[in-house]
Amino acid sequence: MIRLERVTKMYKTSTRPALDRVSVEVGKGEFVFLIGPSGSGKSTFLRLLLREDVPTRGKIWVTDLDVAKLPRRKVPRLRQRIGVVFQDFRLLTNKTVGENVAFALEVIGKSPSTIRKVVPEVLELVGLEGKADRMPHELSGGEQQRVAIARAFVNRPLVLLADEPTGNLDPDTSQDIMLLLERINRTGTTVVMATHDHSIVDSMRRRVVELDMGRVVRDEAHAVYGVGR
Amino acid sequence: MRTDFVVREVATGLRRNVTMTVAMVLTTAISLLMVGTGLLAVKTIDATEAIYSDRLEIRVALTQDVSTADSGCTQPICAGLRSTLENSPLVAGVTYENQQEAYERFQELFAGQSVAELARPQSLPATLRVKLVDRDGSTEAGAAAVKQAMENQVGVRTVIDQRDVVAKLFDFLGGVRNVTFALALVQAVAALMLISNTVQVSAYTRRTEVGVMRLVGATRWYTQLPFLIEAVVTGVVGAVLAGVGLVVGKIAFIDSLLAGIAQNGVIPPVTLADVLTVSAYLVPIGALIAGITGYVTLRLYVKV
Repeated sequence: MIRLERVTKMYKTSTRPALDRVSVEVGKGEFVFLIGPSGSGKSTFLRLLLREDVPTRGKIWVTDLDVAKLPRRKVPRLRQRIGVVFQDFRLLTNKTVGENVAFALEVIGKSPSTIRKVVPEVLELVGLEGKADRMPHELSGGEQQRVAIARAFVNRPLVLLADEPTGNLDPDTSQDIMLLLERINRTGTTVVMATHDHSIVDSMRRRVVELDMGRVVRDEAHAVYGVGR
Repeated sequence: MRTDFVVREVATGLRRNVTMTVAMVLTTAISLLMVGTGLLAVKTIDATEAIYSDRLEIRVALTQDVSTADSGCTQPICAGLRSTLENSPLVAGVTYENQQEAYERFQELFAGQSVAELARPQSLPATLRVKLVDRDGSTEAGAAAVKQAMENQVGVRTVIDQRDVVAKLFDFLGGVRNVTFALALVQAVAALMLISNTVQVSAYTRRTEVGVMRLVGATRWYTQLPFLIEAVVTGVVGAVLAGVGLVVGKIAFIDSLLAGIAQNGVIPPVTLADVLTVSAYLVPIGALIAGITGYVTLRLYVKV
């Protein structure tokens, strides 16, 4: 589903590569934690998958798309296969919960009838049934992140990328969000989640890819956060 | 493409930057108003030239002795000049105006003025009035030929080209047109910068939306079209205002200013149809310029 082959990313402003010869393969339906300290390259990893940036060297595949060589006009095709969730939710504050989710479908040209059918379904999946008409500021942090997840998942992407999705949430709420991501993963969606949260990684016991100074220092199945440290 | 979505986004964008939008509309309107004025000036100049090219003639004034002696252009000197002219392929016709006829026309022209009383038939020259053939819309060649053939001939006092006199008027009108276009150009540069700036501000205020759109895989068209249409809408509204301005300007100023000379046929009147035609041209011009500016701005400065 996702394959990186000796991917190096240099930024002009830094002498050290943000990613250094990273090779990782993630299969369909896998759940992978991407861990490591700040500046270890987690965000760069996700940005490259989304083609927010191109690698300096190396190859990246997402599904059958050669991401680095993808022409600009085909980038939307890649992004429609990937859902993204961020620490800061990035909801549109002037739109209701339902409109926020519908927005993701409107802008890729889905018909109103499809949108009317699909939005309530996905809101129910994330546990926000009956809250479609609320404004984001009326919701708790956890609920806002659910809206963001609903928006990322509403087009049924093959891959869900989550960048510190629990970073702004308390432990209990974080657990709820993880249960939700797990549920989405069970539908066959590949999930890659960058996180600092030890307890979540430890309790989930999923595959862990650890980055440090842009290098993969550990890639282990059913792992915990801090092995050997 | 979901039209309802695009329409909604455009409306939101225009509302959100309302002062900027108004500034953009007004600048565009003034700049297009000037372009329109320039176009009307060009049209008037062309029409004036057409009027005069029919009327204008070359006058060959004869010397005092020939004028007095020959009232019917029958004697050798005058008849010779006349046949030289009539034989030229560039001359359409020649009429002879003797001193008496010149005097009558003079009286008519200056009726009620003191010069009319002072003038005597003997003090006015007889003239050969030469009408020229219009070749490719110009009588230039004919005028040059007649001048060359007549100047310094025996019996000829001077050769007067009426077009030289009218050329001064055309120079003036041409000056008006050039100044208008120059001002329009400066104003247009300001309008372009404003449009460009507004598109950037508009994209910045909606960066979250645009960010989400890019992430969920909206195509470039979806992300850019609302901004482009916003620019085009302001361009069109500006052009419509400019058109209204032209009509108001015609009724309020031009009509009263040019009423006298237009009625006398000195210059052609600026008709409402002319103004509406020019206004109709301004709309696509406004839309196109705003659209292109918007597009270039999005390409160069805005990551959408």
